[in-house]
Amino acid sequence: MRATVRDVLMRLRGLAQRRSMESRLDDEMRFHVDMLTEQHVRAGLSATEARRKALTAFGGMERFKEDARDEYRNRLLDELGQDIRYAIRVLRRNPGFGVAAALTFALGIGASTAIFSVVHGVLLRPLPYEAPDRLVVLWESQPARGNDRNVVSVPNFEAWRSSARSFERMAALVPLPATIAGAPSPEHVMGAEVSPGYFEMLGVSPALGRTFASSEERDGGDDVVVLSDGFWRSHFGADRRVVGRTLLIDGRPHTIVGVMPPSFDPPQFSWLIDQAFWRPFGPTDNNRGWGRFLLVVARVKRDLPVSAALRDVQGIAAQRATEDKGNEGWSASIVSLSAQITGDTRLPLLVLLGAVGLLLLMAVTNVANLTLGLVRRREHELAVRRAIGATGGRLLRQIITQSAVVGAVGCLLGFAAAVGGVRALVALLPPDTPRSGSIRVDAPVLLFTASISVIAALAVGAVAALRGGRNGATSLRESGGRAAARLRGGSLVTAEVALGLVLTVLAGLTLRTFEKLRTVDLGFDSERVIVARVGVSGPRYQTPAARTAFFDEVLSRVRALPGVQAASAISTRPFGGMGPATPLGDASAAETGDSVVADVRYADAELFRTLRVPLVAGSTFDSRDALDAPPRVIVNRTLARRLWPSESPIGKRLRVPMFNGIVPEVIGVVGDVHLMDARTPARGAIYLANARFPMDALDLVVRASDDGAAVVKSLRSIVTAIDPALPVFQVTMLETLVGRALARDRFTAALLGTFALVSLLLAAVGIYGVFAGDVAQRRKEIGIRVALGAPSGGVIALVMRRAVTRAALGVALGSVGALLAARAMRSLLFGVGAADPVSFVGVAALLVLVAVAATLVPALRAARVSPLVAIRVDH
Amino acid sequence: MAEKGRGDVLQGTLDMLVLKSLQLGPMHGWGITERLETGSERVFQVGQGSLYPALYRLERQGYIASDWGVTENNRQARFYKLTSSGRKRLAEERATWARMSRAVELVLRMGEAEA
Repeated sequence: MRATVRDVLMRLRGLAQRRSMESRLDDEMRFHVDMLTEQHVRAGLSATEARRKALTAFGGMERFKEDARDEYRNRLLDELGQDIRYAIRVLRRNPGFGVAAALTFALGIGASTAIFSVVHGVLLRPLPYEAPDRLVVLWESQPARGNDRNVVSVPNFEAWRSSARSFERMAALVPLPATIAGAPSPEHVMGAEVSPGYFEMLGVSPALGRTFASSEERDGGDDVVVLSDGFWRSHFGADRRVVGRTLLIDGRPHTIVGVMPPSFDPPQFSWLIDQAFWRPFGPTDNNRGWGRFLLVVARVKRDLPVSAALRDVQGIAAQRATEDKGNEGWSASIVSLSAQITGDTRLPLLVLLGAVGLLLLMAVTNVANLTLGLVRRREHELAVRRAIGATGGRLLRQIITQSAVVGAVGCLLGFAAAVGGVRALVALLPPDTPRSGSIRVDAPVLLFTASISVIAALAVGAVAALRGGRNGATSLRESGGRAAARLRGGSLVTAEVALGLVLTVLAGLTLRTFEKLRTVDLGFDSERVIVARVGVSGPRYQTPAARTAFFDEVLSRVRALPGVQAASAISTRPFGGMGPATPLGDASAAETGDSVVADVRYADAELFRTLRVPLVAGSTFDSRDALDAPPRVIVNRTLARRLWPSESPIGKRLRVPMFNGIVPEVIGVVGDVHLMDARTPARGAIYLANARFPMDALDLVVRASDDGAAVVKSLRSIVTAIDPALPVFQVTMLETLVGRALARDRFTAALLGTFALVSLLLAAVGIYGVFAGDVAQRRKEIGIRVALGAPSGGVIALVMRRAVTRAALGVALGSVGALLAARAMRSLLFGVGAADPVSFVGVAALLVLVAVAATLVPALRAARVSPLVAIRVDH
Repeated sequence: MAEKGRGDVLQGTLDMLVLKSLQLGPMHGWGITERLETGSERVFQVGQGSLYPALYRLERQGYIASDWGVTENNRQARFYKLTSSGRKRLAEERATWARMSRAVELVLRMGEAEA
C-alpha cells in the first residue's frame, strides 16, 4: 500500500517535473560521455577521436533518451489508455452485452437524475431570498387541541412585533383576491397585503420605483400598490413610466409606486398563492376585531437559534393568554419558511428519491450480473492471458475499466434522457407542487449524476472484480470447463428479488391508497357540476340587500337556461380550499370551552339538491331566512351525532361565536360532505343561509344535463348582462377539482408503479441471465444426469429449485426492507396499513412468479440437454 | 558486434546486478558500468541504453535513490545508492537466482555420469 502511494506520487512528480527530468537526463549523459572520452584519451586517442568514439559507443543519444524517458512516462496512464481501448474492443465484440449494460445503466442513472432534479429544485435549492435560513413563519397554536399552525390575530401580531427581541423584522401577510377593472372585461387576480418592510426583510428590491414606507401602514394601509413583473408586463406592456399611474383594485384607485423584478418569486404557503400585486397592510381598530387571519413571516436575528426565538414568542403568547379571554389556551409555534413552503411535498418526494435509488441499485446489480457473465464467458481467454504473463491486478483493472466505459456511456445516455425526463416530470407534477419553477437540470444536478455514475461503475467493477476475480486467477488447467456445483450469481438473484419486492410493495401500497381515495364516498355527486365564482365589489353593492339581489338575479337567470338541472350558491365550493371554521356547542349546555370545531359554509336552499347531498332530517332554508330574521342553521350528520347523539337535533339551538355570537335554530340535518379533500375525514359542519348572511363573493354551483360547455358560456354573459364590471372566475367542473385533489397521490402512485414495473423487468432479466449462465455451465453435469436416466421433469426441478430457494430468501429480506420503508411513509397511506397483507403477500407471490418465469426458459433448455453432451470432449 | 565471449547482461538480471553493484557503495552511472565490467571480468558489457532506463526504473520503484554529488576528480555527477527496500529486493533476487542457476545446471547435467 505504501509502495503504491509512493508510486503514484512518483508518477505525479514525473509528470510535473518533465522538464527538470529532461535536463537531468542531459546532464547525466554528458557526464557519462565525458568519462568515456577520458577513457579513450587515456588509451591514446586524440581528443576529437576519443569524443567521436565515445558518442558512437553511446549508440545514439536520442534513442537512448527515449528509452529512459519511457521509464518515466506515466505507465498508469498508458495502461489506462490500453485498457480503455481493450474495453471498447471487448464491448464491440459483445454488442449484446454492451447495449444491455449501457441501457440498464442509463435507465438507473436517468431516472435518478430526473427525480433528483425535482427534489433539488423543490426541497434542496435555497429559497431565493437573502439568508433564507433565518426566515421563519410564526403561527398561533393550541397545544391542547393539537392545533399547531393557526393564523394569527392582529393584536397578537402587534404584541409579537413590538415585544419580541429575537427578530430583525416581522411582517404580516393577508392574501387579497381582487377584481381589477380592465379591458375588455374585469378580471379577478390574487394579490396580497403585506406589512411595510416585508420586501426588505426578504432582501429583495424593486426593479422600478420603491416599496412601502413604514408610514404607509397607518389606517389599514395607504392606497399604494407594488406590481409583480408578470402583471406589469401583461397589463402595462412593461411600460417603464408606470410608476405614479393608477390601478383600480376592487373599484378603489391605487397609486402604483413600484414594480418587482422578474426574479422575485414570492413565498407561497397556506392560502397565500399567486401574487400579482401587493398593497400595504396595517392594523386598524376594525381588523383587530376580525379574529385570526394573518400569516406572519419574520427574520430571526443573526446567530440566534430558532429555539430561542420560539421561547421568546411563546413567552409573549403566555402573557397574552392571561390578558385576554380570547387568547386562553393559545400559544405560538415557529416553522422555517422553507419547511413551511415545501410542507407536504417533502415526504412523497423523498419516498420517490428512495425508490429511484433502489431502482439504480437494481440497475447496478444487473450490470454487475451481466459483467460477471461476460467475464465467465471469457474465462478461458483470461486464463490464457494470465498464463502468458498478465498480472491478476492488471486483469482486474481491465474489468473495472470496462465497467467504467459502460458507466460513462450509460451516464451520458442517462443524462440525456433525464433532461427530457425532467421536462415530462414537471408537466406531470401535481399543480400544487411548490417551487416547481426552480426545477431544472443544472450544475448541482450534473454533479449528482456524475457522482452516482462513478459510484455505480465502481460498484459494478468491484462486484465483477471480487467475484470474477477468482476466475481471473484461475489457472489454464482449471479453466477447461469443470462442473460448477455452486450457483454463481445466486446472491445477485436474492438481491434482485429483495429490491424488486421493496419497490413493488411500496407501489402496491400507494396504488391501493390511490384506489381507496378514489372510491371514498365524498358525500356529493360531482358529475356534470360546473362551479364558477362571482364577486361583487364597488359602491353598488354596499348594502347586503344589493348583494342578495344581485346573486338572486343571477341564479334565477341561470336556472332558466336550457340544460341546467339545478343551480345554487355556496360561500366556498367543496374541494375549493380552506373556508371558515369555528368552535361551537349546544346553546342549552353550559359553556365549558366548546371543543367541537365545525366548518362554516353559507349556502342557499338549492345547494343540497344541486350537489345531491341527502337531507336526512328536517328541512332546508326558505323565505323565513331573510336578512333580519333570526338566524337558522343546517348541520351535517357528524355534528348532529356529536352534539345530540340520542335526540332529534331539529329545533335545538347552537352557540356560534361569530357575528358577535349567534344562537341559530337547527332546521335540518344533511349528509356529510368532504369539503377539503377525500383524505381528510368529514368533520362537523354548519350551513348558514346566504340570504341571512350575504357574502360579497359566492361560488355558483350548477348541475348541467350535458357537458356544460354551453352553460359556462351563458354564465358569463348572464353576469355581464347584469353588471359588466364583475368578473366570473375559477370556472371549472367540480369533477376536475376532485381529480386535482388526488393529483399528488396519483403522481406518487404512477411513478412508484412505473418504477415497480421496471424493477420487475430488471429482476426478470437479471434472474434469467444468472440461470441461463448456470445451465450453460452445467450442461455436462446435466447431460450425465440425463444419461443416467433423470426424467426431464427432474432436470427442470433441479434448476427451478435453486431459483425458488434464492427467490424465497430475497422475499424474506425484501419484506423486512419493505416494512421499514412502508412505516416511514405511513402518513402517505390511506385506507391501508403499512403492513397491508394484501400488498405484501400479493407482491411476494408476484416476485416468486417472476423468478420462476425467468428461470423457465433456462430450465426447459436444461431439460433438452442431450445425454451425448456427457461424453463429448470439451471444445 | 560484441567480441567473442563478451555479451549483454543476461535478460532480467540487470536490475539485480545494478543493485549488487550499489551494495558496495553509492556510485554514478559511469561507475556502475565500470563496476559491472570489472566485476564480471569484462564478460558483461553494459549498454548505456539499458543501464539508465534500469536506473530510473529502480529509482521509481524505490529500490535506489539518487542525488547530485562530486566525483573524486571533482566533477558533478548523479550518485545512486541502495535503499533499504532495495537491499531486501537484492536478497530476494539473489535467492531466486541461486535457485534458478542450480536448476539450470541440473537440467544441463541430465544424463551425464556423475564424476
